[in-house]
Amino acid sequence: MNTFAKIALRNILRNKRRSLITISAVGIGLGALIFIWSFVEGAHRQMITNYTSYITSPVQVQPAGYQTNPKLERALDNSAALDARIRQNPTVRATSPRIRAEGLIASSEASVGTVILGVHPSREILVSTLNKRIAKGTFLQDGDDQQIIIGKDMATNLNVGLEDKVVFMSQAADGSIASGAYYVKGIVDSGVTEIDKGLAIITFTAADELFVMDGRPSQIAVQLHAVEESTQTAAGLRTALNDPELEVLAWNTVSPILQQWLDYDNTFIWIIVVIVMIVVAIGIMNTVLMGVLERTREFGILLALGTKEGQIIAMVGWESVFLGLIGTAAGLFLGLTSSLYFQETGVDLTIFTDALNAFYMEPVIRPCLNFKYTFLSGVMVLATSVIVSIYPAWTAAKLVPVKAIRSI
Amino acid sequence: MSKIRVDNLSKVYVTGKNIETPALSGITLEIEPREFLAIAGTSGSGKTTLLNLIGSLDAPTAGTIHFGHTEVTGMSKNELAEFRKDHIGFVFQAYNLINTLTALENVEYIMLLQGVAPAERRRRAADLLTRVGLEKYLDHFPNQMSGGQQQRVAVARAIVSEPSVILADEPTANLDSKTSEQLLDLMLELNREKGTTFVFSTHDPMVIGKVARVVNLKDGRIAP
Repeated sequence: MNTFAKIALRNILRNKRRSLITISAVGIGLGALIFIWSFVEGAHRQMITNYTSYITSPVQVQPAGYQTNPKLERALDNSAALDARIRQNPTVRATSPRIRAEGLIASSEASVGTVILGVHPSREILVSTLNKRIAKGTFLQDGDDQQIIIGKDMATNLNVGLEDKVVFMSQAADGSIASGAYYVKGIVDSGVTEIDKGLAIITFTAADELFVMDGRPSQIAVQLHAVEESTQTAAGLRTALNDPELEVLAWNTVSPILQQWLDYDNTFIWIIVVIVMIVVAIGIMNTVLMGVLERTREFGILLALGTKEGQIIAMVGWESVFLGLIGTAAGLFLGLTSSLYFQETGVDLTIFTDALNAFYMEPVIRPCLNFKYTFLSGVMVLATSVIVSIYPAWTAAKLVPVKAIRSI
Repeated sequence: MSKIRVDNLSKVYVTGKNIETPALSGITLEIEPREFLAIAGTSGSGKTTLLNLIGSLDAPTAGTIHFGHTEVTGMSKNELAEFRKDHIGFVFQAYNLINTLTALENVEYIMLLQGVAPAERRRRAADLLTRVGLEKYLDHFPNQMSGGQQQRVAVARAIVSEPSVILADEPTANLDSKTSEQLLDLMLELNREKGTTFVFSTHDPMVIGKVARVVNLKDGRIAP
């Protein structure tokens, strides 16, 4: 081993307790950081997966301008051919044409505003998991053209239950009055307010007849094999379809608010990263600076013997590197084992179920180890440990030999 | 081997509120190659200050120091470090070994700075420690050795790189008389054998009795 490194290592061992405290601070800080990254990554994936499996699919294909002005008149022509072309993309797992409208839904006691979706039930369950969120009754089946699915809050507001009749009213695509009566077949409890309070689902055939759509869907919901590929798939489909009359949008464009939530979360994590780095920096700097001040006389001797400033800086730098390396190894062990353990068992936050559901999360969150952030965290801790050694190293290198040797 | 020439050297320490304390005034001195010389004087006479200035561990307020034709008083910090490494050996009163290095590693250290190959420096360090009677203590750390043993390691460290001059600041101050005599005999032997110049700062009569020339200092000046 390089003699300067050997001296540095022995200096670390010289005050074992202090070094151990520093290494523990670095290790716990880094371990916590890696676990937080994993937890947030797992929570984000859950949010995106749930969000894109309820109403907003990972990718949506719809008429140009529909996103900003979703009128019934804007509908997709030749949707069967379009649907077939979308399915040719290898990242696409399933598609489901939908008619989407807004209107008033009423029972004998009350009426509320709602978004209504007309879907092919057998295809919808391939792009959406809302059928698994039925709290009462069952989901629609093909041919259930007189049936409707509503959210649990809507059911409460309308004071209706299974098999009760509700009436939907709106305006059809041809400007006529659209009005239809349906019987409640299922009640959804998703935990998401906008769904439970303001969504109703009927069959595509029923919606087609109600809104006079001539078989034209408002949009095609596209489900993917991997939701992480939403943006790339949307861009790929846009290029492949090459039709200015269409807009192909990824979920984060359809719902920028969720993306903003994720960005906010990530910003918060970076603040934690900065705090952890400050703790690491103070811990290592304290240890190394104390070590330097205690060894002023020794540095004076080294300088007297002909050691150059750069060599003194290297010697002190090695101490920080060793503390950083050992702390990083401990932190990686803590972070990886805790993340992998909870990745298997999940973190049970059942007591916060309602709050978590509102943000498209499950009560049990499974951390998801992100190797990029794990590597990045380790590198940042190491880099911090080297950077903070500059001041103590400089202090040692600038000592005047005769004064340093005289010090106690 | 080159002559050391000290010309009109002064050192004034400034303390507190610009209080000037003169430590040396107008010192002019020539030290011949191979000399075995002592700078003697009472405590506070300036002998350690003079030794530190000759060893370029401190900068003079005025005057110059030449090693042969090389003036060391105008050198940068790194140049001085380089010069000390190659030309000057130090033996300090308090031994001043590096506590985290073994006896062998302490002696090896300067050769490491000089870029000597690991096997060669290990061999030379071991030979020299054997020469000073410490062959059983090669892997001992300073705190595992007596004062006399540590000082012998310090002498081995000073001589191992074969500098032209060894500056020894009261090397016997912390040793008993028997150990002191053994150490002085060792240094005298090295002086005769290798031709190394030895300059001691001391008020120990035993050291003064062994050297060839004594320069007496009094109140920062050379006493007649």
